[in-house]
Amino acid sequence: MRLASIMLLRSLVALFALLAIALPASAQSSARSAHAEGILLLERSTAMPDDSFLGALQLKLADGWHVYWKNAGDSGLPPSATWASSPQVTAGEFRFPTPHAIPLATLMNYGYEHEVVLPFEVKIAPDAKPGDQLTIAAKFDYLICADVCIPEDVTLSVTLTIAATPTIDDAGSAIIAKTLPTIPVALTGNATVERAGDTFKIGAIDPSLAAAATSAKWLRFFPLGPEIQNAAPQVVRVGPDGVSVEVKASDFAKPGDVPLNGIIGMELSNGDMRGWELPATPAALPAGVANTAFQAVGATSTEKALPLGDLLLTLALAFLGGLVLNLMPCVLPVLTIKAAGLVHTAHDPKKSRADGLAYLAGVVICFAAIGAILVFLKAAGDTSAGMGFQLQYAWVTAIFALVMFAVGLNLLGVFEIGTSLMGVGGKLADRGGVSGAFFTGFLAAFVGAPCVGPFMAGAVGAALAQPDPLVVMAIFIMIGAGLAAPFVLLSFTPAFAKVLPKPGKWMETFRQVLAFPMFVTAAWLLWVLSAQSGADGVIVVIFAAIVLSFGIWLARKIGTRVPGRALAAAVILAGFALPPALTLLPKEQLVVETTPWSPEQVSQLRAEGRVIFVDFTARWCVTCQVNKQTFHGSDVQRAFADNKVAFLEADWTNKDSVIFDELKRHGAGGVPLYLVYPADGGEPRKFEGLLTAGQIQQAIREAAGSI
Amino acid sequence: MPIIHREKIPLMIGVAAAAAITAAALVVSAASAAPPGNAAPAFKETSTTGQDISLADFKGKTVVLEWTNNGCPFVQKHYNSKNMQATQAAATKDGVIWLSVISSKPGSQGNVTPEQADKLTTDRGAKPTHVLLDPDGSMGRAYGAKTTPHMYIITPDGKIAYNGAIDSIQSNKVEDVPKATNYVTTALASLKAGKAPDPALTVPYGCDVKY
Repeated sequence: MRLASIMLLRSLVALFALLAIALPASAQSSARSAHAEGILLLERSTAMPDDSFLGALQLKLADGWHVYWKNAGDSGLPPSATWASSPQVTAGEFRFPTPHAIPLATLMNYGYEHEVVLPFEVKIAPDAKPGDQLTIAAKFDYLICADVCIPEDVTLSVTLTIAATPTIDDAGSAIIAKTLPTIPVALTGNATVERAGDTFKIGAIDPSLAAAATSAKWLRFFPLGPEIQNAAPQVVRVGPDGVSVEVKASDFAKPGDVPLNGIIGMELSNGDMRGWELPATPAALPAGVANTAFQAVGATSTEKALPLGDLLLTLALAFLGGLVLNLMPCVLPVLTIKAAGLVHTAHDPKKSRADGLAYLAGVVICFAAIGAILVFLKAAGDTSAGMGFQLQYAWVTAIFALVMFAVGLNLLGVFEIGTSLMGVGGKLADRGGVSGAFFTGFLAAFVGAPCVGPFMAGAVGAALAQPDPLVVMAIFIMIGAGLAAPFVLLSFTPAFAKVLPKPGKWMETFRQVLAFPMFVTAAWLLWVLSAQSGADGVIVVIFAAIVLSFGIWLARKIGTRVPGRALAAAVILAGFALPPALTLLPKEQLVVETTPWSPEQVSQLRAEGRVIFVDFTARWCVTCQVNKQTFHGSDVQRAFADNKVAFLEADWTNKDSVIFDELKRHGAGGVPLYLVYPADGGEPRKFEGLLTAGQIQQAIREAAGSI
Repeated sequence: MPIIHREKIPLMIGVAAAAAITAAALVVSAASAAPPGNAAPAFKETSTTGQDISLADFKGKTVVLEWTNNGCPFVQKHYNSKNMQATQAAATKDGVIWLSVISSKPGSQGNVTPEQADKLTTDRGAKPTHVLLDPDGSMGRAYGAKTTPHMYIITPDGKIAYNGAIDSIQSNKVEDVPKATNYVTTALASLKAGKAPDPALTVPYGCDVKY
């Protein structure tokens, strides 16, 4: 028994001794994790005391997997190192090469695919002695992702002999030397950033950057922080002195002018990566960086001219896409107008054919116009404009909603064409006329274009990637032809008329029923608008619809003579002009933030000795809205800011017993009520009804004790 | 062709305008993104128990939203360390509603059946009030949820009070949990004391939401 345990002990000791000898050999300069191979490289095979040189972590990634840049973007983490080297060795931070943008559904990440080499500086202490065996060792952690993410790591180590003179490691040096040009360099000139609403215009001056940009496949700004929307398209322009990039600010961008840290990165046409480091400081965009749109050069397959066979296929797909568009919910309501027209002319073959052709012309001209504008926008550097761009402008959406509303009223028979009514709405969907058919076609194309249906996505994608404007136009015209085809065909088919019942009163009823799809379209457009300009934009359009209705009513009442007609037409035009006019008004910049009111918030702020302005308000209270405009005035805002006023809002739009109790406590049965708490902790001053800017400023100064 | 009688015109305009306005009012409420101070986007999703859960159900209560995906290493960091469970338990004990939301699309990592989701809750000792299944990603997109985990806190009056990371150290390592500041815990404490959370907006970290 005892003998056995001694033997076991001996063998264990022997095993440990063996392991101890084997350990340096087993610590390796390369290792595999599940989806990557990590290799630790050095520029030196022997180093000298007080030496400094580069090392690098080379990561070879499995296909389809990526690791991250120092700012991972919307998700992910950059690689990191936990060093365990000899005490005479110090290793610096990774120097990250220029990354790629890696899109993932609605998100954007920044990182590397296939392979990345991450250099770092290595320093050998002066007290290292020739003959010393030093180890450079670390555990390298990296999050590696495909559609899923896995944290992986490799532990790597290299033994380095110290000698009187250093010797180069050829293999390591070559790989490191290859990656060095891809590491962002400092700009030779200035970098600026100009804020315009939610857009940052970044300018970077550096002739070498400007030169490289002329032969790049892509160029973009990579932020170091979270200040921009990573997934939003960037607009790139170039000039003789540098480049400019427009990016969208995120919620993390502090209001006003803020510096932006990051790099301008690009991939050259030969596949090499280049980067320039900025801190962009707030200033106006300099000249010489935004002369022309960035032109992608080289191997991007989408920018290549199509071979004839592919071109014909793309055109066929575009036609098919247009054809299928007839079934899309956004076009369907407009097509009902066409259907109504068809019913009217079906029994008159000549008229029917003329209408069919006019309709075709309307559709095709609208699509050609959309194509032409897109070609123009692309040439001007706005690569973010795609199909449906026309509805990305809030005022266009607004006007369009009004047009649909007017068409609906016309179909209901509220007004007729060619009687007394002038004005835009009057010409729409004219039942008999060729111009009506043309307009119907134009409308169908205008609403239909944003609805990318099956087959069309490919055609439009191909169209937008074409370098040749003529090909782009051809594709758009084919989509239009496809959309128009079914009705044109019906117009030219006399047999169709036999299927339809004889003209009669039913046609009027049919026409009226068709008004409701128009209202549905108007409602849908309002919904689009609500996402563009919120509830305020929607209410403007609703008001405009009322003005429009009033104008139409006026036209019927007093439109028999010229002055009456002119007045009615003016009111109708005013209705249409309302939404764009309001979007042109400058928005006031609010200096003082609004925070929600609560009794706790009040006592807290009072304890801090702040002046407090409490706004008891409600959406449905008109006086409150008028006063709100006064509060938003620049003088009042300045008075708030100068006196460090805390602006609290108690919103009583919905039932709220806490707010109601507070109102009653101050002897008010409802809103508006304004309380101004002085800084010295005294009783609040109470205001009700309409306020003037002077009154508020006076009250604030008194409360702050600055009088 | 018959022309509508003149006296009927105002009535017809009225009817049409009313129809348009009603339709507009129905759709105005749709908004997106959720910076602090904004109204929290409304949602209605099915919970693992088959109930329809909407934000309006919790008026007057503080609501925490936690985007989650059990296959994500960052989520695992906070569940293996029991950090998420402890945060959930402390919050729900205080009357806070805690909704764990799964926005992974079908066939992607983290997409689970209601039964699997409930089993995960039991196995991990999680304490959410409900687990919501959002396979079409509509709720995730409405809030702009980017990562798992991604945390939101909604005040009793329906405003976003906090939007961002679960804590202050961006890593997938369990050992960082005790060193980090738990932003959800501190934000809930601030709200309880009647103060606005600081920070109210942080950069969320983790895996991308599998939309």
